[in-house]
Amino acid sequence: MLILLPTLFLLITALALLLLRLGKPQFRYGWLTAASGTILTVAGVFLWRIGFPYEYGLPAWQPATIFHYSPAWLADGFSWPYALALAGLSAAVIWTSIVRAESDPLTWAASLLVTAFGLLAVSAANPLTLVLAWTAIDLVELVAMLRSTQNPDQTEGVMVAFAARLLGTALVLWAAIRSAAGGVRMDFASIPPEAGLYLLLAVGLRLGILPLHLPYQQETNIRRGFGTILRLVSAASSLALLTRIPSRAIDTPLTPYLLVLTALGGLYAGWMWLRASDELTGRPFWLLGMAALALSASLRANPAGSAAWGLTLSTGGGFLFLYSARQRGSLWLALLSGLGLSALPFLLAASGWPSGSTALAVFILPYLPIQALLMAGFVRHALHPGEVSLESQPGWARGLYLFGLLLLIAIQILLGLWGWEGAAVVGVWWAALASLGMAAGLLVLGLRFLSRTAPAGSGGRWADILRLNWLYRFLWGLFRLAERLGRALTGAIEGEGGILWSLLLLVLLLSLFAGGGR
Amino acid sequence: MNASILWIFLPMGAGTILLFLRNERWVAFVAGSLSALLALIAWLLPIENAYAIGNYAFKLSSTFEILGRRLILTANEQPMLTLIYGAAAFWFIASSSIGKAHRLIPLGLIVTGLLVASLAVEPFLYAALLIEVAVLLTTPLLLPPHQKPGRGLLRFITFQTLAMPLILFTGWLLRGIEADPGANALIRQAAILLGIGFVFLLAVIPFHTWIPLLGEESSPYLTGFVFWVFPTFALLFGAGFIDRYAWIRTAPQLPSILSAVGALMVAGGGLLAAIQNNLGRILGYAVLVETGFSLLALSLLEAQGIELFFLLFVPRLIAMGLLALGLETLKKDAAGLDFAQVRGLARPWPFAAASLLLAALSLAGLPALAGFPIRLAIWESLATVSLPATAWTLVGSLGLGIAALRAAAALVAAPAQAAWEARESWPERLFMSLGWLVLFGLGAFPQWMIPLLNRLPAIFEHLGH
Repeated sequence: MLILLPTLFLLITALALLLLRLGKPQFRYGWLTAASGTILTVAGVFLWRIGFPYEYGLPAWQPATIFHYSPAWLADGFSWPYALALAGLSAAVIWTSIVRAESDPLTWAASLLVTAFGLLAVSAANPLTLVLAWTAIDLVELVAMLRSTQNPDQTEGVMVAFAARLLGTALVLWAAIRSAAGGVRMDFASIPPEAGLYLLLAVGLRLGILPLHLPYQQETNIRRGFGTILRLVSAASSLALLTRIPSRAIDTPLTPYLLVLTALGGLYAGWMWLRASDELTGRPFWLLGMAALALSASLRANPAGSAAWGLTLSTGGGFLFLYSARQRGSLWLALLSGLGLSALPFLLAASGWPSGSTALAVFILPYLPIQALLMAGFVRHALHPGEVSLESQPGWARGLYLFGLLLLIAIQILLGLWGWEGAAVVGVWWAALASLGMAAGLLVLGLRFLSRTAPAGSGGRWADILRLNWLYRFLWGLFRLAERLGRALTGAIEGEGGILWSLLLLVLLLSLFAGGGR
Repeated sequence: MNASILWIFLPMGAGTILLFLRNERWVAFVAGSLSALLALIAWLLPIENAYAIGNYAFKLSSTFEILGRRLILTANEQPMLTLIYGAAAFWFIASSSIGKAHRLIPLGLIVTGLLVASLAVEPFLYAALLIEVAVLLTTPLLLPPHQKPGRGLLRFITFQTLAMPLILFTGWLLRGIEADPGANALIRQAAILLGIGFVFLLAVIPFHTWIPLLGEESSPYLTGFVFWVFPTFALLFGAGFIDRYAWIRTAPQLPSILSAVGALMVAGGGLLAAIQNNLGRILGYAVLVETGFSLLALSLLEAQGIELFFLLFVPRLIAMGLLALGLETLKKDAAGLDFAQVRGLARPWPFAAASLLLAALSLAGLPALAGFPIRLAIWESLATVSLPATAWTLVGSLGLGIAALRAAAALVAAPAQAAWEARESWPERLFMSLGWLVLFGLGAFPQWMIPLLNRLPAIFEHLGH
């Protein structure tokens, strides 16, 4: 039951905020309620470690002869770090909101709700629980995005993003069905080899990296705090699955090709992140780039490495996206957080570079520039003037804001040393140094010579090619063709001569069946 | 007191009286209360037991003779009666919120009574005649006075009427089979005729055209009721056939035929739904997908398959009711249900749009919604028999999901200055919100259906035992 405690804290706090907003709109302690709830949540996640690892399930779905799965959660070395990162993120969002014009309890309640679903997703013990939590997150995101979008193009992007997520969910279900066909019930403690690739593709599809797709051409006017929670929780909940896929389950001839495809997507994302006008505009590319690194670790038979990148995405990214009030004196915080991305020994991303298979170790090379681009972009955006000046804030607000940011950094450091078994490693130190060197060069290039591109969705012919827009146009053309064929067929059987057509089709079908029976 | 009087003649009589009552709310209240009461009685008072109310003692007897035929409702049928009248109460009560009570309820009650009679009649084959009468009575239900019938309605009557002689003729052949069980030629002829009869009755592709046409041309709520009631009874009637006749039940080809037809309906219905630009037609194709899933569940034959067959009923009822309610509400503000005509309506009608989306996604099997647990169970069971059939059904479900998302994209595509508001009445909001809660509740806790499920399979003597 301890495993559900943080989720309950978040849900109760969200409900309290909602009721207060409806019943007592003038209530002045909404922020205090939300902030207390998030701190309790962080504490609750630490409680998971009592009697670690363990599984907890809700009453089983009945009848058990039909339903082979029931919602269940697993507290172990991989769900705990993700849970801590998400709990820390939600706390940071609330605590740092003090310097932003974000004082709507409903937005805080929504942030807490998304985090609650995120916790349920990262600790899912079986595919059923995971897809339930994913869908809950997707539906909240759908509603939030639809409410915040204003033009039809953005709306279309929202629907495409939702559809891509659903396809990812369908792939997880297909993996479970394939396992069932082989007589094995899939849970995350034992994923059968035939399911591994589907799960990996599901994650890639949900994150938009495999195949590369960017449904959100630009970020909507959703609030910084809630937007950060929405994007990072959604990404983390998908990435957490990678840690569950054993390396033998993705040992297929397709692996090298997937590594190349992912690298191409990651390079494009890293470049666009570096070029973006600010960190919020570039946020979709941060997610893509980090997701590429996480996927590559999994593909190189290092599932724990995917956790290293996934957690860096959440904590490092969370820091930068919430670092809206800046001053020169606080820059060291950003540099400290950015250092976690460097994969230097005993830092959070250090276990991201080792490979589980020597044959695939060479594939870290195309990923080094991705890491360098992401690091350079991180520092470049951190150097950019923020939304407001920290000096202009009252002392107590500065304190609360800095506490929120420091919490994320503390979690980042803690996870690097104590996150999971094998987290504190030297890693591939030369790779870390090489990418650090490249990042320094790219940073100089970025600061001196590169202009910042305004809309994240812009790009020329190369962007069009790399984003696989040509492929999507081709697929869309196929859909239109199928649509026309379908309409022609429907028109024929629904028209005046429809009954005759139907009879003819029936005779054809019967003759086919009769032939098959012979 | 006779069970047939209570569950067949009383609703039909009430329906006839309600034809003359003009007040929408009263009609809905009386019919909703009566249906709910009948459902409750079916749940609580076993047939063939004696009861006393004060000094008045009575026994609910099971058999009623009429014109040399018998209507038999036993205790085994009571869970089914609970389901049917509970569902009728749901449709009738919600109809008042959208001003359709008077159009739907009187004939709806009579149709329900007739269809219950079709499941109770002995000899069994007379059911085809009763279904035909119900089909004919549906015409004034769907067609407003002084309006010419559309192609969908005509085709509905044509296809359902074509089913009747085929099934009756099968009955004639069956007597010969009972006399000589080894007559293989006769068995083959009976099987083919019966199969074609059910192809018409269940609107199997390519005889499905009345469904999307009707969805496009008629009132969505009334069509929704027809789409729920006829396929449900046709499926129960069909399953009754399989249960009753050993030569059908034990035919080695039966599972593969049911599974092939089911997969065809799910995949065909889903893929065709994905290319539609009319919300009413999408509702129609969703019905095909649902029928397909029921056939797939039946194809599993064993106890598991029958449980799945019955488990599908409740989520289907809620989702179709909610979808029809949402569409009817949107239609107040639109000339038709084409995407172009409903563009941007999510902003003034968010409850209706959300209901439509959630209901369609539940029918598509979206996780966390009521339709999902049962679909997952069907996919898993089917995968052990045929992986390609499973893949096709998954594709069909995705097709329906795409249709739902395309519909949602049209509904939310409003001009930038359009504000979010809620024009739905409070009763509409209440019914829709309750529908959402049930969809999510059953999606997370399907075991809530267990009390009903435990008793429903008793309807069949052999299937699932």
